[in-house]
Amino acid sequence: MSAESSDLQLESPSPYLGQVKLKQEDGIFGLYLPPLAKDTAEQWEELWQDLKYCLNYSERTWPAQQSVSLEAEDYLLDTRQLQNLADLLGELELDLVRVKTSRRQTAIAAASLGYCVEQNHLVSPFQTNIEQLDVAEPLYLKTTIRSGVEVRHNGTVIILGDINPGGSIVARGDIIIWGHLRGVVHAGSQGHRESRIFALKMQPTQLRIADVVARLSSFEPHDVQPEIAYLSKEGIAIANALQFERYHDFDQAIGSWSEYKSTVIPANL
Amino acid sequence: MNRVIVITSGKGGVGKTTVTANLGTALANLGHKVALVDADFGLRNLDLLLGLEQRIVYTSLDVLAGDCSLDKALVKDKRVPNLVLLPAAQNRTKEAITPGQMKELVEQLSTQYDYVLIDCPAGIEVGFRNAVVAAQEAIIVTTPEMSAVRDADRVVGLMESEQIKKIHLIVNRIRPEMVQLNQMISVEDILDLLVIPLLGIIPDDEKIIISTNCGDPIVLDEKDSLPSQALKNIAGRLDGQKIPFLDLSATQDGIIKRFIRFLNRKL
Repeated sequence: MSAESSDLQLESPSPYLGQVKLKQEDGIFGLYLPPLAKDTAEQWEELWQDLKYCLNYSERTWPAQQSVSLEAEDYLLDTRQLQNLADLLGELELDLVRVKTSRRQTAIAAASLGYCVEQNHLVSPFQTNIEQLDVAEPLYLKTTIRSGVEVRHNGTVIILGDINPGGSIVARGDIIIWGHLRGVVHAGSQGHRESRIFALKMQPTQLRIADVVARLSSFEPHDVQPEIAYLSKEGIAIANALQFERYHDFDQAIGSWSEYKSTVIPANL
Repeated sequence: MNRVIVITSGKGGVGKTTVTANLGTALANLGHKVALVDADFGLRNLDLLLGLEQRIVYTSLDVLAGDCSLDKALVKDKRVPNLVLLPAAQNRTKEAITPGQMKELVEQLSTQYDYVLIDCPAGIEVGFRNAVVAAQEAIIVTTPEMSAVRDADRVVGLMESEQIKKIHLIVNRIRPEMVQLNQMISVEDILDLLVIPLLGIIPDDEKIIISTNCGDPIVLDEKDSLPSQALKNIAGRLDGQKIPFLDLSATQDGIIKRFIRFLNRKL
């Protein structure tokens, strides 16, 4: 019951591309946008899809009319885009009150719509964003990840639903799927070899942990039991979820999980 | 409550237009006022399937340009009262119309008609967005092929992000004998992946090809065939009736096979 590791190795940890995220900071919610890659209308179109997805499927834990601050950074937003955003937030009982930006045009647009504007200076590209280096809180999504959807998160991802073929998850930490895994998942995307993948039903297109890639060795349906994919000495392996914790241990020296060599037989066996 | 429903699939050639034409005709036969909207600019087919090609004078683009009123552009069906078609322009491409304009047209129609069915083009580009923007509900058509099911999954994802919550599935071109031999993906497998409610199953039948070529929707046939019954049932279910699913395997086999199956069930 092991996955077949291919010779293929990921060249380097894949670059972390952020996603839209909502984070609470002393009473006010900050709506963070992913780093700007290209300054086009297409970018807004993609961002808009992401926003709708993230806001609609995130677990709603805020009180009604919660204030939100938009961390627009170097995004160029016009009044129409800001208005659309405020409307979307409004549907979810979130109240846009402040826009933080480093672009003059965005600041003007926000001010003309009556939002509180905070204009900060451009962040130097050489300055590392300290927050991005931190591992984020787990992302909890209650939805099916369908074909064409990619979830990227700077921490552990928990999905209550299936991952369909063509859907993918890239997480810096573990990936926990309370459902059927059929797509591509990448745990420990920044090179963390201890990361694991948990699924109620493990039938992935491809598994990736840190810099190792594997696919299932056969298509025949194996156990319909919860399973865990982890990095062993030989590559990515799959084990029965119930027995994994009892018999496996992470070996820091070799950077992989190995079977627990214990002389003490657990009492209940 | 007027309903605006888009019929879509992602993949081409799975039977969107055939389903639209037949569903529209069947709903009109149930006594509803139905408007069919062809959103496939440049590759329109809905008029052919309804046998209305020769009656088209104006298209939706003429309405938008202000050359004629919306009522004038609507082509009335020759066989069924209450059924009209808003044709697409054939000499233009998908970029000729914007989502905003499409929404405006459909909103006007929905004030006058009980059902507005929009026939969506294949793909997920501009044409798809035009067709989807005005819809409140969606019907996904798929065939029991891996590629069609994958595309359907992608489209369901896009629908969900467009805030369309009511999404139903039609599985077209099922061949029960192949499913029994495990040579074809079963409806259960498709539902297991897509997890959306099933509206109906349409068997593969050459009668559909014949009716398509003649421009006569199969639901108008006097002799009731299996696909025709399946499509009528779908229209009934869409209308809120509770109709059990057809046992496709039973009706296709001979009486002896059915008897054997009956015996096996008892054992």
